[in-house]
Amino acid sequence: MEKMIEIVFNGISTGAIYALIALGFVLIFKSTGILNFAQGQLCMFGAFMCYYFATVLRIPYVLSLLMAMALGAILGALVDILIFKRLVGEPLFSTIIVTVGLASILTCMAGLIWGHDVYSIQSPFMDSTVTLGKMVFSQAGLYTIGVSLVLFALFMLFFNRSLLGVAMRGTAEDSKTAGLMGVNVRKIYMIAWAIGSLVAVLAGIFLAERSFVQTSMSYTGIKAMSAAILGGMESIGGAIIGGLLVGLAESFAATYLSGMHVGGFHFGDIKDVAAFAIMIIVLMIRPQGIFGKKEVKRV
Amino acid sequence: MMGRTFKVNYREDTALFQNRWVKGWLGILAALLVLAPFFLSRYEVSVLNEMGIAAIGALGLNLLIGYTGQISLCHGAFLGIGAYTSALLTGAAGIHFLLALPLSGLMAALLGLIVGIPSLRLKGLYLALGTLAFGFIVEYVLFHWDLTQGDLGMAVRRIQFGNFEIETEKQYFYLIMTVAALATLCATNLVRTKIGRSFVAIRDRDIAAEAMGIPLAKYKVMAFAVSSFYAGSAGCLLAHYNKWIVPGAFDISVSIAYIAMIIIGGMGTILGSILGAILITGIPHGIDYVTDLFRGSYPAISEMIVDFKLGIFGLIIIGTLLFEPLGLVGIYRRIKAYFKTWPYKY
Repeated sequence: MEKMIEIVFNGISTGAIYALIALGFVLIFKSTGILNFAQGQLCMFGAFMCYYFATVLRIPYVLSLLMAMALGAILGALVDILIFKRLVGEPLFSTIIVTVGLASILTCMAGLIWGHDVYSIQSPFMDSTVTLGKMVFSQAGLYTIGVSLVLFALFMLFFNRSLLGVAMRGTAEDSKTAGLMGVNVRKIYMIAWAIGSLVAVLAGIFLAERSFVQTSMSYTGIKAMSAAILGGMESIGGAIIGGLLVGLAESFAATYLSGMHVGGFHFGDIKDVAAFAIMIIVLMIRPQGIFGKKEVKRV
Repeated sequence: MMGRTFKVNYREDTALFQNRWVKGWLGILAALLVLAPFFLSRYEVSVLNEMGIAAIGALGLNLLIGYTGQISLCHGAFLGIGAYTSALLTGAAGIHFLLALPLSGLMAALLGLIVGIPSLRLKGLYLALGTLAFGFIVEYVLFHWDLTQGDLGMAVRRIQFGNFEIETEKQYFYLIMTVAALATLCATNLVRTKIGRSFVAIRDRDIAAEAMGIPLAKYKVMAFAVSSFYAGSAGCLLAHYNKWIVPGAFDISVSIAYIAMIIIGGMGTILGSILGAILITGIPHGIDYVTDLFRGSYPAISEMIVDFKLGIFGLIIIGTLLFEPLGLVGIYRRIKAYFKTWPYKY
């Protein structure tokens, strides 16, 4: 029983990270219609920046976290201004491929600036655990879940109550009409990218808590894409739930399926592939995800 | 060249090589290719070999993305499937290379069919994600299956014709160029037929294409299958050329490289695939060359440049899509049109 709770807790804390990245995905997708393949790379960049501030420059953890988030937002806005401004109205394929190219560039730049070694961020709750009876929880995991919950609540408030949030929802629904109503659509796109990368940076820093800061962190971004697909690319709540479900699935798969040996086939490292298997299954059965609406294509 | 461009019968109109100029230049190209290995160093011939293999793969991908308008991020996986199929066929099953080449293409085409069937329901970004996931799953399977020996890698037998074994770069060159020429011929002919026109119709407006009577299911799946066949053949050649394959050589960075090839070459053109393949394959070698130049004077820079490859591909992709969406072929056509209409502007 305790083991089950531990598995669930691990799943949820991983899931919270996926949910954060998926939130960024869905945000950018809803507002601008662009699928951002570079989300994982933005995570990695954020983690590297926080590492730089916290470990190299020895700035206190919380401050470096906030600075990294601010820089991440600026990076997102820059990406929008430099690249996607010129791509307005281009076919979908171009925008997808541009984000793929952007992902490669970000990986390369991170490798250039910080090297391909593995680093870790000095944080106040590295390796500290909380023990509840016979169960051991990592403090970092608790903080991940806690901060994510606060962030999700903030986002819910932002999108439902604040003027800017409602404007963003309106632009996501129909950008031309929103433009006609006086919303500055260009600014909304930029803000969407800024918030998307801010969330990605936070997710990257949490991810760095559990493992290390390295250039291959970007594969988590692709796993989070499956979380966004599972929840539905159109829904913010869906992204959160999708992320949690993918995290739980990974945790269970890692515990029960790993190490199985079926007819010449080893099921090792199944954690890496569980998310992709989920993505394929969702795409086959219900491409719009749990909360998504079926896209009706009109001639 | 404003030469004689009158066609007087259908045979001339539908000819593959339209006029004497084209035939002349192609003849010169063929002669150069035949004579090249005698004048170039071993390293340069090996670079040309890589370009030839990449051209076959790029042709396939252009047929899928450029002509049919589907998105596929798993081309590297199909290369891997072709490579491993060929390795297993020539190694464990002892089948001759000449038979293993089409068989590995067929195996990749079969899996291309399987990927193509969901493509009927999935559009745009969902298809991109589906193919992405497929690519990762194929890499995972190749890694963890006992049959493919995972990360230990797999040795591939040399190609043998009776007693004659293909060993040197020069011999590989002739084999690869023959297959590449055959592949280009097939692709050029394919896009001139009903199938090619259906592909283009599907790319432009698939609902209208279906309304005009083009069976979408058949042609979309066919596009995936044909593109994967090309990738499988290229993978088979790659396996025998490298003589050692690991699953990590067929991951998403390979797919991204092929996409960069067709984007910078020019989507939707045969010449574009070849030009793109040449350019993208040449870039890592160019980087090595530049690094070697620098190594004497600035050793620190040469260490930094080591990992530029993927970043430069990304930069090329973004730059091309932002500034020259038609790629190198677009530039070539503009130059050709400029000279054709000189001194007038249009």
